[in-house]
Amino acid sequence: MAAPRVCVPGERLFSTADCEAGPGTYVHHGYIYSCLAGYMHKRKQDGKELPIIEVIRQKEDAVPRKDSIVTAKVTSVSGRMCKCAITCVERTTLREPFRGLIRKEDVRATEKDRVEMYKCFRPGDIVLARVVSFLDKKVQVSLLTGFLDAACQLSLGDANCYLLSTAENELGVVLALSEAGAQMVPVSWCDMQCPKTGSKESRKVAKVQLQQE
Amino acid sequence: MCHKIRHPRYWLILPFKMAGLEIISDQGYRIDGRRSSELRKVCARMGVFTQADGSAYIEQGNTKALATVYGPHEVRKGRGKIQHDRAVVNCQFSMATFSTGERKSRPKGDRRSQEMSMHLRQTFEAVIVTELFPRSQIDIYVQILQADGGNYCACVNAATLAVIDAGIPMKDYVCACTAGFIQDSPLLDISYVEESAGAPFLTVAMMPKSEQIVLLEMNSRLHADNMEKVLDLATQGCKDVFAVLDRHVRDHVSESHALMTAS
Repeated sequence: MAAPRVCVPGERLFSTADCEAGPGTYVHHGYIYSCLAGYMHKRKQDGKELPIIEVIRQKEDAVPRKDSIVTAKVTSVSGRMCKCAITCVERTTLREPFRGLIRKEDVRATEKDRVEMYKCFRPGDIVLARVVSFLDKKVQVSLLTGFLDAACQLSLGDANCYLLSTAENELGVVLALSEAGAQMVPVSWCDMQCPKTGSKESRKVAKVQLQQE
Repeated sequence: MCHKIRHPRYWLILPFKMAGLEIISDQGYRIDGRRSSELRKVCARMGVFTQADGSAYIEQGNTKALATVYGPHEVRKGRGKIQHDRAVVNCQFSMATFSTGERKSRPKGDRRSQEMSMHLRQTFEAVIVTELFPRSQIDIYVQILQADGGNYCACVNAATLAVIDAGIPMKDYVCACTAGFIQDSPLLDISYVEESAGAPFLTVAMMPKSEQIVLLEMNSRLHADNMEKVLDLATQGCKDVFAVLDRHVRDHVSESHALMTAS
């Protein structure tokens, strides 16, 4: 294979007639240009004629988007909601965490009104969740005016966070430490067991499926 | 009464003439020995800080600037600024207290710095592909360590390198350069002494490949007939700056790749 080509921002790579624009590129007047400094890669797509052009560099940036799966760490739990710090979006690790929030009604798909937040999440848990929307200050006020409690009022100070949902079998707690400090193993969709003491703790457990490569 | 109709610039050039300081000598050389269409020596380094997401240092003659870039990260200060379709670019320009001949009392926050910050923000909002990072913020901090004319240009060039180092997508480089019109001839890359001669000069920031002007500023009046000459020279200057920056970026990319594969 030939040595990969170094690209700089604004460098014209190919015509859109020959290739398709991938990450790290943009299209302007029928041509694909690089928008990063990195190496150019041409990748064949399955079932498509045109190869995809992308510019790769070591560091990658991402922001949470609607419907993307994020990894978050629970920072605080209240009766109505659970606050967390989003650390990963899909496969990219963020340099700094974004704020996220799981509301009580978004924890699971069934028996939504019977959810008890303290039995679903604990601070320090690592959670897989899907981004539902972005919570604006104004939206948040209207959403929460119905059931304002002390915790909600506190959170109004730092509005603007991503609303997350774990209402899918594959979403929920993936990593949690027991009271004894050991990493727990899931035993059912709502329980995790500590290997040290054998005690069970309830969580909204994610059914992690191994990806077939 | 003939002194009343003298050219207004006469009074500004006069002190230099009297002090034996001519901006351009009879042989066509400037005070620092350049010809009229030559840039000052440009030295640049990328990735000078580890804790910042991107950083760069540039020297253009005696003008030295340091730029750091953070982000894209969550909008922190002034949540009202949050944009739901793109990232917010936040720029801060400052000058070190020791950067000028007379010690500065305020490194940042004065009117000139605020104006400079605003110009930088406008420049970089035009080139960064902000649509990729909705609801986030990109911070660009630039500091002048030594001021010898063309501060804005040094800042733009340093910030371009820092943004590239941070891996933030840009449509093109932005390169900036000044060109003045002194003693009836256009001069490229004005130094502090030439700036303070009071002659008109242009500051141009442009995307060198697409030749689009991002920012154009003129500090005093210039005859329309000369405008084109000066602008052409400044454009050429931007392209010359681009050639230098481009070489640095390419070297940096292959260097960091070599480091990655070696480790």
